[in-house]
Amino acid sequence: MPKIEIPLGDFLSLAEMDNTDNLEKLLESLKAELDGLNEKTVKIELNDTNRPDLWTAEGVARGLRCWKNGAESHLDSLSDPAVHIDVHSDLKEIRPFIAAFTATGWKVDDDGLESLITAQEKIASSFGKERKTAAIGFYPLDEISFPVSYAVTSPETGFQPLGGEGEMTLAEILLKTEAGLKYAGLLSDFQKYPILRDSSGAVLSFPPVINSHSTGRVVAGNSRLFCEVTGTDWHTVNLTATILACNLEDRGAVIGPVEIRYPDGNVTVTPVLYRDTLTATLEEISEMIGTDAEELDIEALLSKMDYSEIEIGEGSVTAVMPPYRRDGIHPRDLMEDIVIAIGLNNMEPVLPSEYTVGSAAPVEILARSVKALLVGAGCEEIMRPVLTSFDKISTRTKTPEPPIRINNPMTAEYGVVSNTLLPALLEVESSSGHAAFPHRLFTVGEVLRRTGDTLCHTQMNLAVSTGDGDFGTVHSILGVICHLRGLELSLKPLDDARFIPGRSAVILIDGEEAGILGEFHPGVLEAWGITVPVAGFELPLESLRG
Amino acid sequence: MSETVSKDLHPLEKTLLNWLSEYGPGSDTEIMAGTGMDEGSYRRALQWLLSRDMALILSSAKTVTVELGPIGSDNLEKGTIPELALLEAVGSGTSSLPEIQKNELFERAQWGSAMGALLKARILKKGPGGLVLNDPSGGVFPAIWSSVYSVISDGEIIHLSELDEKVAAEVSGRAPRRGKSRAEFVINETTSSVVEISAPGREAFENARGRSTIGILTREILASGEWKNGSFRRYQVDIPPSRIHIGRLHPYAMFLDSVREKLQAMGFQEMKGSLAESEFWNCDALFMPQFHPARDIHDAYYLEDGVEVEPPSRELGDKVKAAHENGGKTGGRGWEYTFEWDRSLKAIMRSQGTALSARTLGSNPDIPGKYFGIAKCFRYDQVDATHLPDFFQVEGIVLGEEINMRHLLGLLKLFATEVAGATEYKFVPAYFPFTEPSVELHVKHPTLGWFEMGGAGLFRREVCEPMGIDVPVIAWGLGLDRMALLALGLSDIRDLLNPDLARLREMKSTPEKLLGGEDNA
Repeated sequence: MPKIEIPLGDFLSLAEMDNTDNLEKLLESLKAELDGLNEKTVKIELNDTNRPDLWTAEGVARGLRCWKNGAESHLDSLSDPAVHIDVHSDLKEIRPFIAAFTATGWKVDDDGLESLITAQEKIASSFGKERKTAAIGFYPLDEISFPVSYAVTSPETGFQPLGGEGEMTLAEILLKTEAGLKYAGLLSDFQKYPILRDSSGAVLSFPPVINSHSTGRVVAGNSRLFCEVTGTDWHTVNLTATILACNLEDRGAVIGPVEIRYPDGNVTVTPVLYRDTLTATLEEISEMIGTDAEELDIEALLSKMDYSEIEIGEGSVTAVMPPYRRDGIHPRDLMEDIVIAIGLNNMEPVLPSEYTVGSAAPVEILARSVKALLVGAGCEEIMRPVLTSFDKISTRTKTPEPPIRINNPMTAEYGVVSNTLLPALLEVESSSGHAAFPHRLFTVGEVLRRTGDTLCHTQMNLAVSTGDGDFGTVHSILGVICHLRGLELSLKPLDDARFIPGRSAVILIDGEEAGILGEFHPGVLEAWGITVPVAGFELPLESLRG
Repeated sequence: MSETVSKDLHPLEKTLLNWLSEYGPGSDTEIMAGTGMDEGSYRRALQWLLSRDMALILSSAKTVTVELGPIGSDNLEKGTIPELALLEAVGSGTSSLPEIQKNELFERAQWGSAMGALLKARILKKGPGGLVLNDPSGGVFPAIWSSVYSVISDGEIIHLSELDEKVAAEVSGRAPRRGKSRAEFVINETTSSVVEISAPGREAFENARGRSTIGILTREILASGEWKNGSFRRYQVDIPPSRIHIGRLHPYAMFLDSVREKLQAMGFQEMKGSLAESEFWNCDALFMPQFHPARDIHDAYYLEDGVEVEPPSRELGDKVKAAHENGGKTGGRGWEYTFEWDRSLKAIMRSQGTALSARTLGSNPDIPGKYFGIAKCFRYDQVDATHLPDFFQVEGIVLGEEINMRHLLGLLKLFATEVAGATEYKFVPAYFPFTEPSVELHVKHPTLGWFEMGGAGLFRREVCEPMGIDVPVIAWGLGLDRMALLALGLSDIRDLLNPDLARLREMKSTPEKLLGGEDNA
């Protein structure tokens, strides 16, 4: 979940708040949590991954203002575009989309600059998929002579990157700069790279990697900015530009749209303002909230959530989401905002009145019965993780059936899925040489086994082992369980690499093959570092159902 | 031990043996109080018994206490000691000894020796105009008043060993071994022992009483009736028992079972699923878009190539695909991207218990119906004190024609009181990819304080519609790890699945400790 850190003074002034009293509670309406607060900064964690507008100081502050004062207008009196960007061909496969705007009349201060940088980082990294679908650039407007061209160029093109010592080629930037190394993967499939230049030919930036040193450096004191967003997904690019434009407007800038001219003759004026219109019937609202919607002031409620053009007509509500949001994809999303505005703690909880019968899963009921017998037999229950290692299952224990491997393990220690429980009991034995003997252990748990050539299935197994015990000990334990469950137990000799030859067997329950039982081979014990004789058995729990 | 010796027992010895055999072991004071012996008689009797091994000293401790002597008592009555009074006089401008000695609070000699002590400790020095304060702290003397006199005047006993080292030295120096009538302090040393009867002592005592002693009661003693003529050796019943190791259920399994029981009692039926799932059931069916950051937070473990799980029906798959791409028949517009069927079929280790709920929705669930699952889940996290490679999640669904937001809140309230035993709770708006509205339940537990206990919401139409479910569905999940750790007295989550039997044997069997309900109120 994104976390942002905002200078406290900047935050309070943006949010039009005198102090931070009640801030934690107010943030709940934005699905945000207060993560830290001191005299200088406020830290906020945002839980809604579909609301990149909230990952900025301006967005959170706007939400709090609207909650108090009602909806605001956003970018509703944009002038005609004064400047344009020419998009050249050959970008289609690489990075086809661009949106841009100018922001003038607000003098960038230190807090504002910090906020621009935070927005750039948070939005481009998470919402923009590490700059793939959207990357952001800010420039001092007066350094640029329009029109700007968005084109592709050879990796040998050179310019001085922001923070660099001198001119470098694009290829060098990817190899030698921090940003280059981080984002080179986005361009590795291509022979040519995107480039933004102004009409004098000066490089503005090498998107999505880095701005130019001469034209791409915004400092406190600038009051005329140019902002562009490039990326591989149009809606991500345009929404990002819209969010940034709304944020700068909130700080007092006048936003000027920019015309984008595509090589096929299409022309778009950006940012393109979204006005997602959502409609829900009063009946479905009433059904969902469990109260008659007619009794609610829905207009006031939606206004708190910054909706505009709220119309309550014949049995339904229609409202327009603010342009910085695009997460309203179903009437339910409108309804949730009504619920948030009402306040969850203002709704009276009631219990479902329809009668239902509770029950545990059959295998769990069986497990409970069998476990009660094992405890009576003096066995101690063990619980171990399902993920384990190939070493434990195959190399040390010599289990004949190979376990299913994890393709992307975090460590080899958890690189396979258990297909047997006996290795877990041997692991306990090898860690418990200092615990008073004898050890009678059991574990009941799910394992993952292959079904045929490609499929797999989950099965609940039971394994029992005895430390400082022999074949007879485990045989007796299994024997008494079968006896008390009314099952007929017999053993059929079968050699198995895990056990001493002649001291292992297939378990037959009521004549059906169920599992294996044996006395572990000293070689297996040695591999585990176990210094006492150990015997054990394992079978599917269901085989004890009878 | 022969008859002759036991007959030789002195009456004082018999008194002492009698007490020790009935009530022992005991301390000197307990024994003297219990037998009514004076100290002299007791010490003699004990000495005799010790010399014949009929009694044992279990432990003995020396205690050194400080009391006030006659001078000290006078000082306490006067409310100060000469040194402090003298310092006060110098502090208020009286700088010559003869001047000070006019004050009759203390004798002239006392003033004199106080001055000597203060000069020696360099607290005072002699200046041209008389006595001058050199060390305003007053050295050790204020502490003598505050930590000795004041404490004694409060009626408490002072142990020399508990005093500050410097104070103790000064106090010892003022406690003469002779001439106690002029002493400021008296130091008392006493040795206190705990005495126990020995086996020979017991035998001698029993013989002296003319009866046989029965140790372990045997079948033979019962059969012969021998017990009628003997007496039973008294066991020392207050020693700790020896530890035995018994068969037992794992406390964490018991904790999960008690949660299972609670949910059954609330009318939920249990769902079971597979450790391995397709991304279809784990994510797609839950309307988590294939491209979305929401999917990143569920980073999953993928199974080795060539291992698959049963694919969903293509018909169902197409409905889910439509819901993602354009909303299908859900009334929404979907996520507007191209859904990849191949991605849906990838086999992963189940990353969320909600996968079980999705499967239940897709297999003709009861309506009205309530379901829960205690599911092993796998998250791509480093293992540490708060993360295990796999862990249990408790989740479920409630379906019904009448279900609405207020029922969802009612259910969460029930979880807060019944499962967590919470005293207060609140609801907070939340975000989950598959529910809208979404709610977090925060509870105030009597021991844990406020914590986030779980989340819930109404399943989105995009989740229900493809499964053919047209009634509202509540989806809920509870995080129980913190409660499990506290109930079992642990702080590291890895201890829940510890392979060390010795430590497992130390784990407390108190799984029901934190669960709510009347029994545990």
